[in-house]
Amino acid sequence: MTPRTWPAGLFRLTTTVAAVLACNQAVFAGQFLSGTYVALRLHRDGSTYTVAAVASTVLAAVLWRRLGRGPAWPIPATMALVALTAVQTFLGYRLVLAVHIPLGVTVIMLLIALTVAGWRRGPVRSASVRGLIASGRERGR
Amino acid sequence: MTTLSRRALLGMAGLSAAAGIGIPLGRGLAAPTSTGQLLRSRAPRPPLFQRRLTVPPVLRPTRSAGDTDHYEIVQTAVRAEILPGLTTELWTYNGSFPGPTIHSTRGRTVRIRHVNRLPVPTVVHLHGGRTPAADDGYPIDFVHPLDMAQHVGHHMGGDVSHGERTYTYPLDQRAATLWYHDHRMDFTGPSVWRGLAGFHLHHDDEEAALGLPAGVPLMIADRSFDRDGSLLYPARAGGHGVTGDYVAGVLGDVMLVNGVPWPTHPVGRGTYRFRLLNAANARRLSVRLDPPPPTGLVRIGTDGGLLAAPIRHDHLELAPAQRFDILVDFSAYAPGTVVTMVNDFDIGAMGQIMRFVVGDERLAPFAVPDRLSTVTPPRASDAVVTRRFDFRTGEIAGHDGWLVGQQPFHPDVIAAHVKLGTVEIWQLNADFHHPVHLHLSPFQVLGRGSGGPGPYDAGWQDTIDLRPGEQAKILVHFDGYPGKYVFHCHNLEHEDMAMMANFVAT
Ligand SMILES: [Cu+2]
Repeated sequence: MTPRTWPAGLFRLTTTVAAVLACNQAVFAGQFLSGTYVALRLHRDGSTYTVAAVASTVLAAVLWRRLGRGPAWPIPATMALVALTAVQTFLGYRLVLAVHIPLGVTVIMLLIALTVAGWRRGPVRSASVRGLIASGRERGR
Repeated sequence: MTTLSRRALLGMAGLSAAAGIGIPLGRGLAAPTSTGQLLRSRAPRPPLFQRRLTVPPVLRPTRSAGDTDHYEIVQTAVRAEILPGLTTELWTYNGSFPGPTIHSTRGRTVRIRHVNRLPVPTVVHLHGGRTPAADDGYPIDFVHPLDMAQHVGHHMGGDVSHGERTYTYPLDQRAATLWYHDHRMDFTGPSVWRGLAGFHLHHDDEEAALGLPAGVPLMIADRSFDRDGSLLYPARAGGHGVTGDYVAGVLGDVMLVNGVPWPTHPVGRGTYRFRLLNAANARRLSVRLDPPPPTGLVRIGTDGGLLAAPIRHDHLELAPAQRFDILVDFSAYAPGTVVTMVNDFDIGAMGQIMRFVVGDERLAPFAVPDRLSTVTPPRASDAVVTRRFDFRTGEIAGHDGWLVGQQPFHPDVIAAHVKLGTVEIWQLNADFHHPVHLHLSPFQVLGRGSGGPGPYDAGWQDTIDLRPGEQAKILVHFDGYPGKYVFHCHNLEHEDMAMMANFVAT
C-alpha cells in the first residue's frame, strides 16, 4: 500500500488549530487580568476547545503513522499533551495560578514545537520545509 | 500541486494562525475602565445639555426635641419625566430622585421614620454612618410593605418590620458627605437603580469654622431606559442577580446628574463647593473640567470628611459609592464660558457629564485655607492583626457570582471578629474592579501593590477603588458600636451576587 499524504495534512491542521487556540488562552488570560470580564468566559470556554483540539491531534498522529507512514513519536507526544492540557484546565478552575501560568506557557511552547515539527516533516519525510517544497515541486510536475 | 500553491498554503496557514491570535489580541488591547457590561437603552437618547440641573429638596425635621431631630420619609413609587416626552417609574424616598437631602450636625441625633409604600421590602443604610448595628440597615433587616405582611412567615429575615421602621443615627462622627440608599440582600442593585438613593450631609464645628461656600450636591449615576421610558435592568427571571455577562456589573448609557440627563447649571464668577457622589451601580468615573479652571479641582474632602489640607487635581477618579468634596473657582473664566464636566473613562455621550455656564455675577472671593481639619490617622505599627481577603469571581450554586475569601455571602458566616478600639491591617486582593466598602469603620489606605497610596487615597475612606489584579493594604480603625456589620463590593451587581461578608465587633 502506498502511503497516503492527507494524514500528514490532517496532523498539520489539527496541531495548528490546537496551537492557535492555546495561544488565545494566553490572550484571554491577559485580557481578564486587565479587567475584561467576558474574557474570563472566553478563557473558560477556550479551555474546552483547546483540550478537544489537542485530543484530535492524537487521532491525526495515529492516522499519520498508520496510513501515511509518518513517524511514531507524535503519538506519545500528543497523548502527553492531552494529559498536560487536562491538568492545566483542572488547575485553572482550582485557581492554582502558581502552577497554572507556568504550565500554560509550557503547553503553548510544546504545541508550537509540535506544529512546527509537523510542518517541517513532509509526507515523504523530507528533512525541511525546503525539501517539502522541493518534493511538492517534483510531484507538481 | 504547484510550488506556488504549496507556498501559498504555507503562507495561508501562517496568516490564519496569526489572524487567529492577532484578532482576539487586538480586540482586547484597551483595558476596560469599569468592570461591567453596557446595557443599551431602547428609548432615544435625550439631547445633551438641554435641561437645567435640579438640586434635591432639603428635608426638614417634622419636630425637634432635646438633642434629637425627627424626620419622616415615605418610600414610594412615582412617575417622572426624565426623558423628554416619556415617563419613568422610579422608586423614591419622598417622591424625588435623588431622595431629599438630610443635613445633620454633630451632637444631634437624627431619627428617621421610613414608611414603605413600595411593592418590595426595603432596607435603609446610611453609607459612611457611624451607626449602631441595629440601625445600620443589615441586609436582611427588611421593612416589608404593609400589603406584603401576610407573606412574612415565608421570608428569611433578621430584625424584620412591617410597613415602617424608625432608624436612629447618633452621628457622633466628623463632618462628611454621607448618602443613604437601599441595602436589601440580593436586591440592592435593582433598588438603587430604580432611585433609592439620597444625600445625607453631616456637619460639625470644624467644618463650619472654614466658612466654605454653600455646597451643591451632585449625584452622578448612569441608567438605561426601555422604549416606553421605564428603567431597563437585566434581572434574572425568578431570582436575584442579573443575567449573563451583566454579572460583571450593569453600565447605563444615559448619564444622570441629580436625576437629570446631562444637565446644565449656571454659575457665577466665584468659588463653588460640589459634593460629588458616584451613585452608579458599576461605572467608574474620571471627572475633569474642560476648559480646566486655572486653580484646578481642589479636593477638600473624601468619604470620611475633610482632608487635613486641600489637594489640587486636574482630574478625579471615582469608583461607585465614593464621594469627593471639591472646590471649583469659576472666577477666571470669561462670562459666557461653557465649562463641560467630562468623564475621561468613556467616549461619546458617556464621556460627558454636565455643563456649567459662567454668568456675569461676581461672587465674594473665597481663599482656600491651607489647613482644613485635624486628621490623626492611626499608625500601621498599632495594628493588632493583619487579615487578607480575596475579592474574586466564583461559582455559586451553578451560576457565576462573586466571592469574598472564596465564600458567598451568608448572614451566619462571620469572616472576622474585631475588637472595638483597635486598629487592623486588611490586605484586599481583587481580580476585577471592586470598590470595597466597610460599614462602621473608616480606614486609611496604606499602599497599593508594592507602592504607596494612590493619588486619591488621602484621608479617611469608607470605600476603596480596587483595580484588576490589585492588592491594597488598608488600616482600619474599628470604633463605635458592637454588633454584626457587613463589608462588601459596592459594584451593586457584585454585591447582589454574594460579594459581601460579615465582621462582628465586640
Ligand atoms: Cu466587585
